[in-house]
Amino acid sequence: MFQKLLPVFVALTLISSGCAGTTSQPDPISFNENGNILSGKLIVYSGRSELLIQPVIAAFQEKYPQLEVLLKSGSNSQLANTLLEEKTNPQADVFITTEVFTAHALSREGIFQPYEPTGYQNLPDAFKADDASWVGLTQRMRVIMYNKDLVSQDELPASMFDLSDPKLKGQIAAAGSTNASMQAQIASMIQLVGQEQTEAWLTGLLENEVTFFGSHSDVRKAVGAGEFELGLVNHYYYYLQLAEGSHVGIIYPDQAPGEMGIISNATTAAIIQGSSNLSAARAFIDFLVSAEGQKIFAEGNYEYPLLTGVALHPDLVPTDGLSLAKIELAQVVDHFDATFDMIDMANLP
Amino acid sequence: MLRTEALRSNRRRQNAPIPKIAFLAGWVALLAIIPVIYILIRALAGDTELWQRIIQTRLIKLLSNTMLLVLTVTAGTTLLGVSMAWLTERTDVPGRKIFRWLLALPLAIPPYIGAIVHLALLRPRGGLLSQWMEGINLPSIHLPNPTGFWGAAFVLIIFSFPYVFLLSGAAFRSENASYYESARMLGRTPWQTFWQVTIPAIRPGITAGALLVSLDILSEYGTVALLRFETFSSAIFVQLAGRYDRSAASILSGVLILLALIILYGEFRTQGRAQFTQIGSHWRPATLIHLGKQRKWGFLALFFTVLVSFIIPMGLLLFWSTQGILDNQTFTGMQIGSRGLASFIFNSVWSSGLAAFLAVLFSIPIAIYVVRHPGKVSRLFSRLSQVGYAIPGVVVALSLVMLVNRFLPFLYATPLVVVMAYVVRYIPQAVRSSESAMRQLSPNLEEASRLLKRNAIQTFIQVNLPLILPGLLTGSALVFLSSLKELPATLLLRPAGYETLAVRVWIWSEEGFYFQAAPAALLLVFISIIPLYFLLRREAIFKQ
Repeated sequence: MFQKLLPVFVALTLISSGCAGTTSQPDPISFNENGNILSGKLIVYSGRSELLIQPVIAAFQEKYPQLEVLLKSGSNSQLANTLLEEKTNPQADVFITTEVFTAHALSREGIFQPYEPTGYQNLPDAFKADDASWVGLTQRMRVIMYNKDLVSQDELPASMFDLSDPKLKGQIAAAGSTNASMQAQIASMIQLVGQEQTEAWLTGLLENEVTFFGSHSDVRKAVGAGEFELGLVNHYYYYLQLAEGSHVGIIYPDQAPGEMGIISNATTAAIIQGSSNLSAARAFIDFLVSAEGQKIFAEGNYEYPLLTGVALHPDLVPTDGLSLAKIELAQVVDHFDATFDMIDMANLP
Repeated sequence: MLRTEALRSNRRRQNAPIPKIAFLAGWVALLAIIPVIYILIRALAGDTELWQRIIQTRLIKLLSNTMLLVLTVTAGTTLLGVSMAWLTERTDVPGRKIFRWLLALPLAIPPYIGAIVHLALLRPRGGLLSQWMEGINLPSIHLPNPTGFWGAAFVLIIFSFPYVFLLSGAAFRSENASYYESARMLGRTPWQTFWQVTIPAIRPGITAGALLVSLDILSEYGTVALLRFETFSSAIFVQLAGRYDRSAASILSGVLILLALIILYGEFRTQGRAQFTQIGSHWRPATLIHLGKQRKWGFLALFFTVLVSFIIPMGLLLFWSTQGILDNQTFTGMQIGSRGLASFIFNSVWSSGLAAFLAVLFSIPIAIYVVRHPGKVSRLFSRLSQVGYAIPGVVVALSLVMLVNRFLPFLYATPLVVVMAYVVRYIPQAVRSSESAMRQLSPNLEEASRLLKRNAIQTFIQVNLPLILPGLLTGSALVFLSSLKELPATLLLRPAGYETLAVRVWIWSEEGFYFQAAPAALLLVFISIIPLYFLLRREAIFKQ
């Protein structure tokens, strides 16, 4: 039987490899704004979900077809660890993070080199490094999404702290301790409400049997499918799930006066110290903060663009309508050790 | 006679100078154990406070989780593997020749791909199975939770049992009918004969198989991570994504290696005893047991096992793949950076191929040394070179990252580091095949060649190599197959732009993009079937 099937397998293999489309074709020479030729390889480490970063890379690639963009995507903090390890032997040109604190911590360690991209002055100061070693790309909110078929409007939690309500036992999904957004939320909460309250909140989640997934895509799909009533996610995961036709809703938590406000964060990009293709790295950062790049993030991913003048996706609630938590960047970074201690002690999966 | 031979070889060893091959073999053994030693040193050098915190918070839970999974899966694979082998070798169940093949095929499916399918089917509410049941208005039955301990144990059992199936099948095949007949003549019932004659005869083979399965489970990452059951391997990954410090990961790795070394030691000890099932000249195959009316139950058991471990996963992968290829948007989604599917296939094949070649090349000095100069030192070298069995992929990766970056920075972030990890991890398989190939060769041939004025290298190339080549090919097919499916070390060590099929399957399915993941998974399985077919053809149970 197998002698007969083997050629079929081989043929299938060949067919699928043949039609898969190979690496980029060398095209006419590509120039950057200053008229320099961009070629060679651009190595990008990205802590973001691949689906959210590939479109902007594809658009950049189209602009500079002679450049070969090599993407290594993985867990944000794992890549940060890798960059620290590679400090004396740098491999990457650009790092894209899912949150600001990693960028700040790595910048302190001297991993990045400063660069002010085109249009730098049009980006808000709150999302720029003091020494221009990293730059914010998009902003996002920590929200709670819910399945409209399972929860009625009047039962909705209004605060992060409601998630430890025993009423919701077993009904919540969230991303686990390896997820940078989750790590960042814990660190931010330490600064906002103190260590004790944050720890109580975390143990409350564990006692409430929250299911922790590896990624937010899992969380949003599970809530969309009705496996869970509620999910703790970044706001755009709600919109991505909504776009797939699920019956889901969004809660902006802690909005009442006196409450801590919504925890927001930003994705960032930085050029690695020792980058071997500096002109390409710079052109890439330029592109990421340009109107064209920002539009891709805003339209495709439902993120809040940081460049003034780029329109929000019409479905998004503008930031001025929200009460945002007051987060002190440098302070939060100092809370990272405490965060990991807390994760260890609580045994957060 | 045995004793005089031992004495003679003893005397020869004392007088003879150290053979040159010993140095080569020593280098290989050293290369194989450096990563282990490095991690153990890093673990021991860990901060006492950190050790204390790990012991207090994680260690007990990790140890009990890991051991529970290892024991359950080993017991489950043994039970399933032996009963499948018994049905296909000893009974007249219909279709058993085809079932022998079908039962071995799950070896081409890495357990993490099995876990992806399992999860997609069984997720409560969101799962395909529950959607389908809703679709045909079936009263919703409560489906078991696909994640956690039982989910992981189930997936690992149905994708690891073929190891035990093949080994026990070979043992059933080689058992001499006369033992069975003697037992029956002495008044034993068939059931007593099975327990008192058959089981003791096949036990050594099965024990060795079971211990290898348990080493596999210790190092399994993908399945336990996906099904959210925390073991050492997945906990080390979690540590790597945490604070900016590798000490905790090193400590956990050190403990994991110690655990694995204990099992490996047990496996070494059973290995020597695994040889008393031999096919002598008086061998006759045992007579088949007529199941009579029970035949249909035997058939159903075989069919159900094949259904769950091969037909359903392949069917679903095929369905997703067609969906993915038909949908243009998904298809363009298969591009990562500027690299596409063709590059993933190419990377998978060349790195596994190179690893297979190097592993076999390095195994040759060990094999020659241990077979031609038996003794304590050569046996030690042979065993040291097999320590890779006990180093999980994530630990190999962790130690290579630190070692290479420190001592061979120019190799860092090249695909060669990935190949190095495969070699360290899978060279034991090559060493075992090469050793057994060398053992079948009479030393007289080499002596004759040397008398004819050929030097050692010429003798090896002109005399030994052609004769041991089939054995070497077996070794390389094994290493190729294992490297192709390897996940954790590849994930951690791959340079940017270097993606293998296994990595792509993992990243896509972790995000829930099954349509993208399926074609890559299917290709991985199809490519695996080629070396697997070559290996299976050499198995005793497929020879008529």
